[in-house]
Amino acid sequence: MSTVQRDRPPAPGQIRPLVFPAIERRRLDNDLAVLAARHGDLPLVTAMLVVDAGAAGDPARKAGLARLTTDALETGTRTRSADQIAWELEHLGIELQATATWDAAILSITAPRERLEAALELFADIVRHPAFPEAEVDRLRDEQLATILQNRKEPRALANDMAAHFIFAEGVPYGRPLIGTTASVQALTRDDVEAFYRTHYLPNASSLLFVGHIDADTARDLADRHFGDWPAGQPTTPEFEVVPGVETRTVFIVDRPGSVQSEIRIGDIGVARHHEDYFPLLVMNTILGGAFTSRLNMSLRERHGFTYGARSGFAFRKRPGPFIVQAAVATDVTARAVEEALKEMTALREEGASEQEVAAARDYLRGILPLQLQTTEQLASRLADIVIFDLPDDYFQQYRQRIADVSPDDVHRVAREHLRLDRLAIVVVGDAERIAPGLESLDVGTVVIHQDY
Amino acid sequence: MRVDLPHEVHTLDNGLRVIVHEDPSVPLVAVNVWYHVGSKNERPGRTGFAHLFEHLMFEGSAHAPEGMFDTLLESVGGVNNGSTSPDRTNYYEMLPASALELALWLEADRMGWLLPAMTREKLDAQRDVVKNERRQSYENRPYGLAFETILAALFPPDHPYHWPVIGYMADLDAATLDDVHEFFRTYYAPNNASLVVAGSVDGARVLSLVERYFGEIPRGPQAPEVRATPVVSNGGRRLVLEDDVRLPRLYLAWHSPAYFAEGDAALDAAATILAEGKASRLHRALVYERGVAQDVQAFQDSRKLGSIFFVVVTARPEVPLAELERETLQQLEAIAAGDVAAGEVERARNRIETAFVDELQHLLGRADRLNLYAYYTGDPGYAISDLERYRRLEAGDIATAVRRWLVGAPPVALSVVPRGRLDLAAGTA
Repeated sequence: MSTVQRDRPPAPGQIRPLVFPAIERRRLDNDLAVLAARHGDLPLVTAMLVVDAGAAGDPARKAGLARLTTDALETGTRTRSADQIAWELEHLGIELQATATWDAAILSITAPRERLEAALELFADIVRHPAFPEAEVDRLRDEQLATILQNRKEPRALANDMAAHFIFAEGVPYGRPLIGTTASVQALTRDDVEAFYRTHYLPNASSLLFVGHIDADTARDLADRHFGDWPAGQPTTPEFEVVPGVETRTVFIVDRPGSVQSEIRIGDIGVARHHEDYFPLLVMNTILGGAFTSRLNMSLRERHGFTYGARSGFAFRKRPGPFIVQAAVATDVTARAVEEALKEMTALREEGASEQEVAAARDYLRGILPLQLQTTEQLASRLADIVIFDLPDDYFQQYRQRIADVSPDDVHRVAREHLRLDRLAIVVVGDAERIAPGLESLDVGTVVIHQDY
Repeated sequence: MRVDLPHEVHTLDNGLRVIVHEDPSVPLVAVNVWYHVGSKNERPGRTGFAHLFEHLMFEGSAHAPEGMFDTLLESVGGVNNGSTSPDRTNYYEMLPASALELALWLEADRMGWLLPAMTREKLDAQRDVVKNERRQSYENRPYGLAFETILAALFPPDHPYHWPVIGYMADLDAATLDDVHEFFRTYYAPNNASLVVAGSVDGARVLSLVERYFGEIPRGPQAPEVRATPVVSNGGRRLVLEDDVRLPRLYLAWHSPAYFAEGDAALDAAATILAEGKASRLHRALVYERGVAQDVQAFQDSRKLGSIFFVVVTARPEVPLAELERETLQQLEAIAAGDVAAGEVERARNRIETAFVDELQHLLGRADRLNLYAYYTGDPGYAISDLERYRRLEAGDIATAVRRWLVGAPPVALSVVPRGRLDLAAGTA
């Protein structure tokens, strides 16, 4: 038996090229876009409808309406009650997923191929003929209100909401919770839901995606049978400017007496999804806080033991979403954790990253791509990105090359341009009495304490 | 639906069980190791140790120094993690198939050569990380202490399920470097583990690589058997926690049959009929018709030495929990009395089967399943039989299980209420 080489790690070998399924496009007479991609061995199909009906389109003072509308779709059609819909879906063994993101309403079902037609008939009825019964909408509104109340007691949710609130100026939709506020949701009515639906749910503002055991022409025919006579209308797209909520670096303490940890969010406005620096920013963020071995986690978790985990990320949306560094840390090390996080951001901004670090981040991003493309739902979600952000159909074929093209200079440049250390909202949800003195003496910005929230 | 998981099993001379599942459809490989140790193997005074130990497994071994594990795996585009349950500890990597050998080298090194690289500093650092995990996931989270409160009431103090996996703060502080050495020698031997390699791989090559990297790790002593003290009925204990919450929440918990024992599958189905999905009984009655609950949940928490059946109902603001408890118990009595429609059983079977197939869409899900079956049933190929347990179910089986385990024994009832609102708690009589 040969001796085993243990002193050196075995070489990983060449990663195999990624085969991303070809996307085929069709279009119905009412302008509904139909996209199809074959995937996997299982006789499953995911059908996903992407509608330009995201929360960014919530009218002023009606925050939470897009979300309430997606939830209410399932509560009755002209010919089916909520109960019937629930029973029929479950009888088919399928679940309707309906969510509102900032940029779109996304509704999907995954069904065995032989039940796809029946599932799609129900799906189309739900999407096209919702009745929005008043009692149902009232009940969902009360559920949404209860969630909002509970989120105020959940430190992570509270920190996320407060970070958005301070990063963006008053009136910017992204500064509000996507599910709305107590005041905005309390005022929502059944008629608001119906009006939002009529304005935004249109075939010519939607795409229907099919992924799995299906070809494009079959998909088109199915789409035509169930969505072909959906009348087109006049689409509207939300228009707004993204304006920062702070001009200088500011520390906002959100007081939660008795907290054993502080939820830290260090945030700023990031960039829109179509920004030309998208790929360099992905690599830069991987180095800063986008992976387990990133600098923030190595420092705050592994070196200092302040936290169970620290990370950072950009929320890429149609318009610039937030960039946030986050960690939950023990109360007594709150100021030190903020200091270390700022130190890591400063170092990356001023010195950039080594060739080796950049190469590791590139390889990580290139390697994990297939992990996110295993199921028909996952693949459909990637197709939804293509639709929502108007990316080219060969986007995922090009993805790995675009990552590979990012150089250390690119990383340093985008760190300098996008990590603006002079304009940060540093939000800390924790026990003010115990953390304020330390944060004051850090001297990283004016400290403001909020007790009412 | 295809649910079989084709695989080959091979046992090394040192007792390591190796299970290979070939699937060329994705360019990936999943490596999944189960050590047959969990929080049930701990003793009072050292709770949380199995999980703390899991953290130490990522901190370097003799040939792969601290930091190398994650750095190497992430730099080839892989993800990795581990988890500890009451019954077992698992570790997994998912990476491009071309990097299989790297994952095996790393797993073998920490199975065989962890202790030479272990230091007091590593223990202290991970102790801090885990204490922060406890704060983040339990102490600083609304309702976060509910489950450990229930476990402590449901099981006597020396029962292996009395304490939570995360452990108690004082016990985490008490853990020593000697404990680390002893735990490793007792439980982290190849004969107390099983290894699954799944994905775009060649079976023969996998076996030769596994033999090369794991073959010379010595067999360890037989791990001590965990014996559960017999559980006597705790007479329906009733508990109340005041917490920083807005919505009162009721937890009901019963002893129930062990994983794969008679009645286990029937109670999975009962949970589905009772509270899973919009067409479930409690969802319809409490959320939909009466609007008194925000959400409802029921699940059979299947475990090796005996399971726990949970019902968790979150009330709307100001709703007294007694009302939710009454409805829950009435529904259970109705099911026990045989008032179960065929459509409800079919719906439960459909949901369970769909969830099952969904999990198998993920390579890592398949790898973990093979290890799960190997550990709990002795047969990694148990998938088809497992699904068969549900396909065979009839209304009568569900009624029998609910009658025997739920209606026949009073549950531990825990009310979590907003501070100062003890009036909302379900009766404490």
